[in-house]
Amino acid sequence: MGGNQSVPKITAQDRAILDLKLQRDKVKQYQKNLQAILDREEAIAKQHLEAGHKDRALVALRRRKYQQGLLLKTDGQLENLQQLVSSIEFSLVEVSVLHGLKQGNEVLKEIHKEMNLESVEKLLEETAEAREYQREIDEMLANNLSLDEEDAVQAELRELQAAVRAETEPSNDVQLPSVPTSEPLAAKPVAPEEQVERDSARVAIPA
Amino acid sequence: MALSTHTTTTGFLLPSIHSAPPFFTQQPHPTSLSIATEQWIQIILKYSRHRRLFTIRVEDSETTGHDWDEVLRNERINRKVLPSYLSYILAQMVSQKLAAYEPPKQDRSVLIYWRLPEEWAEVLHEWVSSTGHLNTIMTFYEITDPPIESPLSGLPIPLLRQAITILSKTNRAQMIAIADGEGVRFFPSTGKA
Repeated sequence: MGGNQSVPKITAQDRAILDLKLQRDKVKQYQKNLQAILDREEAIAKQHLEAGHKDRALVALRRRKYQQGLLLKTDGQLENLQQLVSSIEFSLVEVSVLHGLKQGNEVLKEIHKEMNLESVEKLLEETAEAREYQREIDEMLANNLSLDEEDAVQAELRELQAAVRAETEPSNDVQLPSVPTSEPLAAKPVAPEEQVERDSARVAIPA
Repeated sequence: MALSTHTTTTGFLLPSIHSAPPFFTQQPHPTSLSIATEQWIQIILKYSRHRRLFTIRVEDSETTGHDWDEVLRNERINRKVLPSYLSYILAQMVSQKLAAYEPPKQDRSVLIYWRLPEEWAEVLHEWVSSTGHLNTIMTFYEITDPPIESPLSGLPIPLLRQAITILSKTNRAQMIAIADGEGVRFFPSTGKA
């Protein structure tokens, strides 16, 4: 509540528009007046005819004709005024649209200043480098793990093979993946599986 | 004797008390006077709302052939309101803020507030918004005499001025004056009081 802050100032343009509109109103009122006179003249003409004064009726009708012409002319004036008023109001709208566009443009430029092309490129490059670096680290760690795994698994496999050959002469254990053709073979694949489970248990710990 | 209501030619229903002869006389007893005056005020307000009349004058009780004939006179019982009584009724209306002396500083003619100026202000702003006239300059003539009938057609200029003053207090209207006349510009409500 600090006075007339939210009400815009009255400019000279506003006064001009008001002036035009007042003139337009005057023309409208004049037209109304004319129309009333026209109707009255018609009534007078009828009266005269009824009373038998043909010449006076003629005079009244002539007057009426003249006023009809006036009415048409004022119609034209009114249209002119209306058009002028509308074009002024429309140009005011255009001005405010332009103003809005200009302001929007300014804001966009400010934002672009902060976001210039070189710094964006540099930022993207740095991000790509960082991602690349991270990927290499991941690979190295992955490779390290799998290499360790491989060595341990290979060593244990050799130990197993030696142990199994020492226990049982028939080398059926080697044929692990083969389809069991005889019953005793069915029992054998279970043992190496247990060994593999124990191996994977052992492998898990170094990680 | 049975009193009856009566519908006028303009479609207004007069209450049954209007058919009672004593109703048209200024009663000496204060209680009956206040009751009767209250009834008169209600009839005047309702009738002015029905016919969209804005002013009533003491002269209307003295003359015929005008808009208030149907109310101030009852030909069927051969009664009419006397000027002195009408003057009293008008004074009562003004004291109850249901009317105002217009032009001011006289007591013969009043502007009837069958709608309070505050309500007129709201109706005015509503109409201006809905016809898309916000933020444009308007003349008083445009408002009181629009090409399309509006709730504001025929509004007297003093009442229009009051409504505009009320709106300008909430920054919704602005009066503009130039040599040839006056105009007004309306703004949308901002949502804040």
